[in-house]
Amino acid sequence: MDFYVLGQQIVNGLVLGSTYGLIAVGYTMVYGIIGMINFAHGEVYMVSAYLTAIGLAVLAYFGISNPWLLIGLTMVFAIVFTSLLGVTIERLAYRPLRRANRLAPLISAIGVSLILQNYVQLSQGAKNQGVPTLVEGVFRMGSEDHFFQITYMQMVIIIVAILAMAILNFVVQHTALGRACRATQQDRQMAQILGIDTDKVIALVFGIGAALAAVAGVLITLNYGSFDFFVGFVTGVKAFTAAVLGGIGSLPGAMLGGILLGLAESLFAGFVSSDYKDVFAFALLVGILIFRPSGLLGKPTVEKV
Amino acid sequence: MLTRFPRLALSIALVSWSALGHAAGKEILIGVAGPHTGSSAPFGLQLWKGAEKAIEDINKAGGVNGSMLRAVKADDACLPAQAKSVANKLVNTDKVNAVVGHFCSSSTIPAAGIYRENNVLMITPASTNPRVTEDENYKAKDCKAITDKAKQEQCELSNYSVIMRTCGRDDQQGVEAANFIVKELKAKSVAVIHDKDTYGQGLADAMRAHLKILGQKDPVLYEGLTRGEKDFNAIVTKIKAAKADVVYFGGLYAEAGPLLRQMREQGLKASFISGDGIVSNDFLSAAGGVKFVEGAFMTFGADLRNVPTGKAVVESFRKSGYEPEGYTLYSYTAVQAIAAAMKGTGEIQDGRKLSKWLVENGADTVMGKINWSPKGDLVKSAYVMYVWDKAGKYAETQAKKL
Amino acid sequence: MSRRPVSRTMLLSLFAALITLILTGPLSGLVLNGYDFTTRFAAPLQIAAMVLILRFIAGLLPASWLAPKQKHEVEPRAPRFKTYQLVLGGLVLYLALASLVLFASKYWLAVGIMALIYVLLGLGLNVVVGFAGLLDLGFVGFYAVGAYGYALGHQYLGLGFWAAIPLAALLAGMFGMILGFPVLRMHGDYLAIVTLGFGEIIRLVLNNWMAFTGGPNGVDAPAPTFFGWEFKANVTQGGVPFHEVWGLEYSSGMLDAFIFLVLLAVVGLTLYAVSRLRGMPIGRAWEALREDEIACRSLGLNHVWTKLSAFAMGASIGGVAGVFFAASQGFVSPISFSFFESALVLAIVVLGGLGSVYGVILAALFLTLMPEVLREFADYRILIFGFAMVLIMIWRPRGIIQQRRPFFKRAGS
Repeated sequence: MDFYVLGQQIVNGLVLGSTYGLIAVGYTMVYGIIGMINFAHGEVYMVSAYLTAIGLAVLAYFGISNPWLLIGLTMVFAIVFTSLLGVTIERLAYRPLRRANRLAPLISAIGVSLILQNYVQLSQGAKNQGVPTLVEGVFRMGSEDHFFQITYMQMVIIIVAILAMAILNFVVQHTALGRACRATQQDRQMAQILGIDTDKVIALVFGIGAALAAVAGVLITLNYGSFDFFVGFVTGVKAFTAAVLGGIGSLPGAMLGGILLGLAESLFAGFVSSDYKDVFAFALLVGILIFRPSGLLGKPTVEKV
Repeated sequence: MLTRFPRLALSIALVSWSALGHAAGKEILIGVAGPHTGSSAPFGLQLWKGAEKAIEDINKAGGVNGSMLRAVKADDACLPAQAKSVANKLVNTDKVNAVVGHFCSSSTIPAAGIYRENNVLMITPASTNPRVTEDENYKAKDCKAITDKAKQEQCELSNYSVIMRTCGRDDQQGVEAANFIVKELKAKSVAVIHDKDTYGQGLADAMRAHLKILGQKDPVLYEGLTRGEKDFNAIVTKIKAAKADVVYFGGLYAEAGPLLRQMREQGLKASFISGDGIVSNDFLSAAGGVKFVEGAFMTFGADLRNVPTGKAVVESFRKSGYEPEGYTLYSYTAVQAIAAAMKGTGEIQDGRKLSKWLVENGADTVMGKINWSPKGDLVKSAYVMYVWDKAGKYAETQAKKL
Repeated sequence: MSRRPVSRTMLLSLFAALITLILTGPLSGLVLNGYDFTTRFAAPLQIAAMVLILRFIAGLLPASWLAPKQKHEVEPRAPRFKTYQLVLGGLVLYLALASLVLFASKYWLAVGIMALIYVLLGLGLNVVVGFAGLLDLGFVGFYAVGAYGYALGHQYLGLGFWAAIPLAALLAGMFGMILGFPVLRMHGDYLAIVTLGFGEIIRLVLNNWMAFTGGPNGVDAPAPTFFGWEFKANVTQGGVPFHEVWGLEYSSGMLDAFIFLVLLAVVGLTLYAVSRLRGMPIGRAWEALREDEIACRSLGLNHVWTKLSAFAMGASIGGVAGVFFAASQGFVSPISFSFFESALVLAIVVLGGLGSVYGVILAALFLTLMPEVLREFADYRILIFGFAMVLIMIWRPRGIIQQRRPFFKRAGS
């Protein structure tokens, strides 16, 4: 096996995995707090991809051309907007169902993702959209025509993904807000009695989850350059798989699951068959869950009476 | 562009109006079927725009046999089950006189069955899969032995297919690409990638089959990627490791763009060739800019935007702020052909009579004079190789005619 | 509940409109055009105005109209009928529905077939999710097994429609067992994602295995026959044409009518079987397991067999639905079995009311007929569909028909 080819495939897998991880962290945050699969999360990511392109276009209109400034401002714009979107969705589609059957919010979420997908298609048109390449440059290892490489943008994705996960993990584990989150997660009624405004905490978590989707949306869009109103669904399912693989509810687990899934897809596609890479990815998921029914880093559910 | 909500109000008004019943019975209805939701929606829009414009132009010129044409939009979302459902609706509920569409071959094939059963003329501007016009249950009948004149006519009529197209077939398109790869590019090793869909894989297989006929050795790589994804780095690395000097892609621009971009980003300089699925200016944005698409080849029918007969139509499209790209003009052509057949026969419903007329007489359209075989395929559908240039436009290659 | 003051409603409506304006501002107001954009500021203003008006009207309605309807008390059991009453009633109902065939146009007949197929799918998934409480997101896989079982069975083994129905049920049931086995230890959402994975694996294999399944091109499925009668203009399977036997004029609607009638009977039988199952030991075991697995196991209930039987039962119903789908389409291809279908069937089960058999029927009819009715709205079709899903869920969080749990009355109470 060629060392450089293997190296390149590992880089490919890490980058793909980090994109899954970034979105998976959002899934896991929401799941962690109210135990609900937020199917609309992928669509929030899709919306942020559109916001990235709109933000860049507007900034270019005002004559801003410094790439890092562009990325920074677009990021802020996307984060503010999508957080608001996340909180609004929670308020309208999920909060009324807080006390209902566990599956009711799931269906509501499927409805929300249909709405978002079609709203964006109607307002922005169905065609593929793109953003210009802002960050160029690449780090190569090896000789002139025998090398493996990682672009600067790909490096940014990997670093931001891990950083975002680490910061969030710190927030959840070591701050007052994090304690409120964990309390709400463990026993909502008790948390309320102790003076935690659980509605506010849940809304906040939805906001943070959406903000993460925005970060993912901006970076992934800049890296791949193109998107359409359907990307949320495709990436969303994979990210959800990653979150479960790592143990849903666990932040480092989501990242680990994402990277593992990305590597598995990349290596299998690269050395066996890209036709069956998704079959392999799902088979891996099933295999791991058989031996660890709560995912890699999930807390095993103790059966007790 | 109309804003959304007045249009919604309009459609509500239309619904209530149509519920009151049509006052004028003299309209000729043309069903326009294609994807308007789901990931293939951009192509549905191309079909719709072309048909809408053609109908508008024909009506301005006085309609057909004194009746006005009206388009009936049908959304099949590129799903076979929905395609059957809308085909049934167009035929049985809307009672359309002819159909333009569908887009995805995988939708057109099941829908065609319904049009055949009901003897409704369907002309697809875009479905290039050979199976669209190849009816497995169909056998040409020998009618000479029948003595009864009326019965003989009936029998002869039944040998015409109501399923026709204004685009070419993948087996022709693949041949053109294979010729180009072997004779022009003199490729040593070819990697064939497809999108695992009826259209993409069919095209890739047709190309691969002709490579073999030309004596080329088997592709160094033959793999499918997944539609809807954007990260094809793994497959690109694989192509690089296989040392391919030509990459042939069977699929649509939404995947072709990122694939090409990631090829270039990984420093892979192999030529990139694809089919009519990437004929759209959106290919440019999907690939992330001019520097990535420059030099990419694709096969497509002669560019109607350069055909003299189509000039005025193209101008008029551009004036309305819409660039008639991809299948738009093929859809326009399909409506023209339907109108021509209706004028020629005086018949507006019997699909076989219309198709017989088209096969016998051909039609003058924006594509120039075109003729069909009894099966419904174009007699002459020259595919031409195009190349994308530095300015982000595509033009026919200057290569000598093969 | 008393009415809220109008001024407060006004304020809330304004707030809603403001949020709408912010949220739709960039997406509706700035339309991407290449790397540039064009403005269309009227659009977000219009949407916001609409939200303002709708919110205001909603605020004026009595609050009790809008509040989620939730009943918590257990309802008494539906009255028991005698067997002959059931048979008679069923027969009358069947004949009434079957007579629709005479009036419906071919389009509505085809829509009706699809609606009944979804009823069948809903009934199948209801066993798994509603009765046994196992969240299955890959149900479409069994549907695919049934459909492909019929199409490929005909291609390779020459199976006919009538043989395919029980065989597809058996095959899909076996798949249900095989897939059910590894997931026995998993709970809730882990189960959901694994079943989703299985559903995707089935679809991907069907799509990739060119040589066996025809890949993305799909396989032709033969039209059903009835004792050698074929419902086609020209016979293709060596039978005799139905219309010639009966001296009728050929109509392409005959095949659909036939499928509709058979399907209607199958749905009726399934309905009966499923409602009976609930009262039988196995049905009670499913529901008990859903409520408390540990208690069940400590009482000696075989949880492995109970779960597997739920999977198998649901899957075989899904498989039968697949056969009908293939027969009515005449053609199957992997695109018809995407994850979205699973989500739709799950929506049917949840919207109908988990565990409620009649709710499932209502929801299936609603969700399949609505997009067809909404065709008049063209591009807005799916958008309205999405809103309807959310609104119904909020209005009736426990489904259209709320679940009735069988219980025993204590003597004397």
